[in-house]
Amino acid sequence: MMRNCLSIALLAVFSTASLAAGDTLEEMSLEDLVKTDITSVARKSQSLADVPAAAFVITAEDIRRSGAQALPDVLRMAPGIQVAQIDNGRYAVTARSFNGRFANKLQVLVDGRSLYHPLFAGVMWELDPIPLEDIERIEIIRGAGAVMWGANAVNGVINIITRHSRNQTGAAVSVTAGSKGTADIYARVGQAVSDSTSWKLSAQARHIEPSRQYTSAADSVDRLNNAVIDFRLDHDIGGGRDLSLWANASRSKTTELWNTQPDFSQPGLNVSSLTPNQVLSSESLVGRYRWLGDSGIESSLQASLNHSTIDIDHFVNESLTTVDLDYQGRFAVDRHDILWGMNHRSTRDEMSTNEPYVSINSRHRTQRDTGFFVHDDWTLLPEQLKLGAGIRVASTTANGSNVSTNATLLWTPSRSDSLWLKYASAPRTSARAERDISILTGASVVQTAIPFPPFTANIPVIGYVNATGKLAAEKSQGVELGYRKQISPNASADINVYRYRYTDLRSGQQTGMFGCHRMFEPAIPVDASKCAYFGLPLGTPVLVNEMQAINGLAAWNDGVEISADWLVVAGWRLQFSYSWSRLKADRSSNVVANEDGNIMERAAPRHHVSLRSQWNITPSQQFDLWLRGTSGMDRLNLVDTVPNASGAATFSRIPGYATVDLRYAYRVNKDLEFALIGRNLVGRQRLEYLSDYIPTAATEIAPTWLISTHWRF
Amino acid sequence: MPANNLLRLASRIALAATLALTMPASFGEATTEAQLKAAYLVNFLKYVEFPGTRTTVNLCLFGRDSLGPYLAAYEGRQVGGRELRIRRVNSPEQIADCQELFIPDTEEARLAAVLRWVDKQPILTVSDAETFTREGGGIALIRGDGRLQFEVNVEALNRAGLRASPQMLRLAKPMTSATR
Repeated sequence: MMRNCLSIALLAVFSTASLAAGDTLEEMSLEDLVKTDITSVARKSQSLADVPAAAFVITAEDIRRSGAQALPDVLRMAPGIQVAQIDNGRYAVTARSFNGRFANKLQVLVDGRSLYHPLFAGVMWELDPIPLEDIERIEIIRGAGAVMWGANAVNGVINIITRHSRNQTGAAVSVTAGSKGTADIYARVGQAVSDSTSWKLSAQARHIEPSRQYTSAADSVDRLNNAVIDFRLDHDIGGGRDLSLWANASRSKTTELWNTQPDFSQPGLNVSSLTPNQVLSSESLVGRYRWLGDSGIESSLQASLNHSTIDIDHFVNESLTTVDLDYQGRFAVDRHDILWGMNHRSTRDEMSTNEPYVSINSRHRTQRDTGFFVHDDWTLLPEQLKLGAGIRVASTTANGSNVSTNATLLWTPSRSDSLWLKYASAPRTSARAERDISILTGASVVQTAIPFPPFTANIPVIGYVNATGKLAAEKSQGVELGYRKQISPNASADINVYRYRYTDLRSGQQTGMFGCHRMFEPAIPVDASKCAYFGLPLGTPVLVNEMQAINGLAAWNDGVEISADWLVVAGWRLQFSYSWSRLKADRSSNVVANEDGNIMERAAPRHHVSLRSQWNITPSQQFDLWLRGTSGMDRLNLVDTVPNASGAATFSRIPGYATVDLRYAYRVNKDLEFALIGRNLVGRQRLEYLSDYIPTAATEIAPTWLISTHWRF
Repeated sequence: MPANNLLRLASRIALAATLALTMPASFGEATTEAQLKAAYLVNFLKYVEFPGTRTTVNLCLFGRDSLGPYLAAYEGRQVGGRELRIRRVNSPEQIADCQELFIPDTEEARLAAVLRWVDKQPILTVSDAETFTREGGGIALIRGDGRLQFEVNVEALNRAGLRASPQMLRLAKPMTSATR
């Protein structure tokens, strides 16, 4: 798609050639150059010299050498991207804070097809969207990118580009097996039918046995079964025209342990667990046509159709159909490089829910989003100064119309230095769940002194959010400053700072409270019909705190991101990244919003570090090491059965961690490779996340060893 | 992150660094593929005859610049008796002044557009996009058999009014399937 050509990846570098001693490259003749061996081949976005944004590229080589088996684990290597594993399949992934299982400020695309789910404006990471082996590269742009990427590109865009079928001809099989009952099979066939036409078909199945629970060491229920099948057809018509077709189907099955079923037959709050099965499926068909007009205008038209389902036993069942039409044009004239486009997306859902836990305002809804954008890169001084500006006007049936803008200035005083400044704004359209779903949000026990007759009572308080059907878009705008330096042909570094302002963030607001026992009267009334709805018999000493979602919160988000890449010697490369971020919410007179701000701030870890070493021991052996770590965070206890006198929210600490992944690979010949992979090797018993919205039992992230075989024929 | 955690992390990183430092460094001089491409671009100018007499020769890098840092060292040098200048270009007007034009394969989507712009002009087009010569480009840099090789589309050079030396054609990889 056209965005790809805008893309930041420049294949520079970092493969190595061995030269005869004494020769310098400048003195070599064509004859010598032809004979120069390339001992290792690695593509890396290194020369990002003219991208005025915080950008990072993950190559296919990086993916393979990371030892990661799932997409979110791959993303950990990018600065500013925060990944926390929840269980075998589930992850919380975000850019620049605001992380959560339903993190909603990140846009994720596979070949231009958005993976984000309009129900909660996030990504279901437990569903493998594409086999890792089929990925050519992943481009990550942090910061607001709404002008070019549309709604939800608030804190960043992850753009996954799959391999052209021309480069995937022949057949390949990968088999991986290891501890924790991990099994992973990938197979692919492809063919170049002619010079201009090629296709490939790949399939992958993944299985992981249940993890252990973090607190009890008992087995959890997160057994994972995933399957994905992906077809791609490319046809080069000639004269700048080409046609691509993708067909993809994926399915995921896993279970989860929810501590959600309260029992009021005894005094206080007793919660028993539920283990709902979750089945996700997605099927999509995408077609893209690119052509070149006589006037030199390049165009790309992409149409996609997607159907997906979410089925969580006895809880939610959703079926969603999305039609997406996207046009982009590009025209370079004089000192201008102009890009424009329009997009229309229509999503229709059908939902059923299990009341009283969850209920939905309307069972069918169609949402339509339409947007137009134009962006110009204007060279003010050739090779020195470039100004970029863009605007998107969009309209959605959910939130009305909105405008996003950006402006960038890129100064390249020399070929090895570039300095950029960026301003951007982005809205986040409210999600269907935020507008239309009423849900039990949690429960705690308040210790209260009852004046007459005097005694201390432990009163369970249940939180419930009533959907109002309305929630406006969240807004963000901010500035970023970045500097890139090519220190030597073998080393480069990149640093950027940002400061963003968010307004109209979703928060809660108390709308009322009712009890199911007369002892709270007259301060808190009894609402017999609502008590009946929640299955609370009259006379049960329980309070229900009713809330609604409002755009009631504002915050500042500041951070620094550093990355460096160094080819130390021909066969050894180091890649480092570090990010620091701080989220600071405003305080107001709204007590619930203040509490939400507090929860948000405390859930954002400050530091993330990653250091990767890729060492080619010999042309046939590789040893890779990945050290990564993050600082700790606090998560709200959604269900807290311990009586608490103040009624204030309580938190659980998720300690910071540092861990190591290893990979040793031996290449028997150019078609056969074996690898031994160790993941999460340091930290025997740790957790990375405690689920939000749904009070799930924490699972342990345990060390795993894997053996992998990759065979091409 | 509490200080002791940071310390622990630092000590682990230090450990990894020492581990790595003990690795043998006998790979010889590190040369990147980008450096090799840059050397090719300069070398082609020696083997191709351009019409007219000029004292300078412009090597232009189209679009997103990947080789700029590696070519900087060649700027101002004498190549075939002419002074080499490196330029970044993005539009047809800027291209008119180029003798050699490199289009990186990340600009693959714009390849056809650029080739149309330079049609019949005395400009040597080079790209690391694999299918470049088949699409009508002049020279493709292709990775294969562990080396970086090049393919020459003689017809395209002729159309541009350029002449490649027999020595260069002898070193070139034969074009796999000439559709043009």
